[in-house]
Amino acid sequence: MISLISPVETWAHRIPAGAKLLALSALTVALFLTDRPAVLAAATLAVIALYLSAGTAFLRQGARHLRMLWPFLLLIALWHGLTGQAQAGIVIALRLLAALALANFVTMTTRLTDMIAVLTWVLSPLRRLGLPTRAVTLAIAMVLRFTPMLVENGQRLALSWRARSPRRPGWRIVVPMAALALDDADHVAEALRARGGILNDIPDGRN
Amino acid sequence: MTGVELRDIGVTLAGRPVLQGVSARLEEPRVGIVGRNGSGKTTLARVIAGLVAPDAGQARIDGADMAADRRAALATVGIIFQNPDHQIIFPTVLEEIAFGLTQQGQRPRAAEAAARAMLDRFGKGHWAPAATHSLSQGQKQLLCLMAVLAMRPRVVVMDEPFSGLDIPTRLQLMRYLDGIAAQVVMITHDPGQLRGFDRILWLEGGRLIADGPPDAVLPRFEAQMREWGGLDDLAHLAG
Amino acid sequence: MERNMTRIALFAALIAALGLIPSLTLAFGVPITAQSMGVMLAGAILGAKRGALAVLLFMALVALGLPLLAGGRGGLGAFVAPTSGFFLGWPVAAFVTGLIVERLRSGPLAVTVALASIIGGIVVMYAFGIVGMSMALDKTLAECTLLVTAFIPGDIIKAVLTGLITQALARSRPAALLSRS
Repeated sequence: MISLISPVETWAHRIPAGAKLLALSALTVALFLTDRPAVLAAATLAVIALYLSAGTAFLRQGARHLRMLWPFLLLIALWHGLTGQAQAGIVIALRLLAALALANFVTMTTRLTDMIAVLTWVLSPLRRLGLPTRAVTLAIAMVLRFTPMLVENGQRLALSWRARSPRRPGWRIVVPMAALALDDADHVAEALRARGGILNDIPDGRN
Repeated sequence: MTGVELRDIGVTLAGRPVLQGVSARLEEPRVGIVGRNGSGKTTLARVIAGLVAPDAGQARIDGADMAADRRAALATVGIIFQNPDHQIIFPTVLEEIAFGLTQQGQRPRAAEAAARAMLDRFGKGHWAPAATHSLSQGQKQLLCLMAVLAMRPRVVVMDEPFSGLDIPTRLQLMRYLDGIAAQVVMITHDPGQLRGFDRILWLEGGRLIADGPPDAVLPRFEAQMREWGGLDDLAHLAG
Repeated sequence: MERNMTRIALFAALIAALGLIPSLTLAFGVPITAQSMGVMLAGAILGAKRGALAVLLFMALVALGLPLLAGGRGGLGAFVAPTSGFFLGWPVAAFVTGLIVERLRSGPLAVTVALASIIGGIVVMYAFGIVGMSMALDKTLAECTLLVTAFIPGDIIKAVLTGLITQALARSRPAALLSRS
């Protein structure tokens, strides 16, 4: 499956995922605590510099990930333009931009396996409480494995619908999709059991 | 006590008897189980692999009850299902093969090395990082075979593993199968896939109606299938 | 154990697939993302606990960096956008939807599920969404409520469809409706 992780290898790829996530959390909280336009403007410039340090292609890719923000920026501009509180509007817009861009930066520069390793580490105290943390990593792998298959199922069902109907299938296709997914779940549970099932006393990827 | 031992196996699913009084001791290296759709052969495959506990009788491999002792089962018997999409759990080839080995208690690093060795044995070392979803049907089936063989089972149960595959792919997979040291129990409705097998069981209506060498069982099976093919029994609903 | 886990995983994959299938036209020719319908379905079909877990699993994959949200979005940015409140409300929405379907056993299934989806998938989800939006955009709750009212009719359609889908599924596979088993 395609992921949002940048194919361009940057210096930030080599920084441990845990450190990046910790820095991201601290900085995001800081962004929401300050109301000073100068600080937020500096933060936004710093984030742009961060993207630029990884190259212009990386910056362009990052800008594309911010598309969903445009309607909100437009809304803020309109709202605050009409009420005449331009400074408050700039504060909100800069904060949104910097926080989202920063979060995307961490996602773009951290490999999936490193992220999963952090998640496993975060969950590990729960194992002592008897929670099946291994089931979590197993389930993540299964979602990655089965999402493309379910998409294909949906497309195949839509084709078989259109082969017999002049109208588009629409929402009705969700019924057989869900039924197939539940059937698949039962088959996979059997395959999982054939190879030992979820055994909690087995070491996971961290060991 | 060696081999697969079935003693008076009975299985009832949803109130309907699926298997009745099936007994056999299987010690031959290649055993085929034939029968029509609904004859109970898939259920028998699951009983042998220990995925279904029989309601009556006993199923054992090398003296151990596979349904009760799942840990012993992991080391003893592997099963390959008809649809590889129901079997492959992981997004990449290497993870899929290594999984069974970590299940057997190997450390992740050792399991990965063993998985790579298995890929190399089949000349498929370059498959390791490939997405399982992108494999062809035949490649998926080969992956399932490698994932099961990596666990070094004594018995490999295969439930219609070649259905839906083209003839060259089927022949290639059958050639891979020839090189396997483990005992193979293959479920199929196609006698053509059982060339070179040592013994054939024929299931009909949940009962064993023939058991013997291929020359004795398969010609009768084929003749019977052709005779039934002339009838219209698609009309009957199960139940 | 295995069966519960694979059902949760497959439903998380179904939520992802519903967001990836291009232009699934739901009603009146208006393309609505089917993904939030997946959240209602998770609760209605799997039940409160398993439904919420399926949604949490889906959210974990988004957090890990996979573009599984409708429109190919994903990553940690999904948690700090102006609309993130809605996203963070998903597991609660699935849980409440599932809880109502589990408890309210009289009346036709489609109606119960549609009602449960309106309470869980709209009332609860919008409560989270509006609070999140008010924090991100620095507007009052009333102002934010006004901003999102335009999306309520579409979501009511999804709630009704969730009822119809769940009923159709219960007819074709009675055992599939774990919320009622």
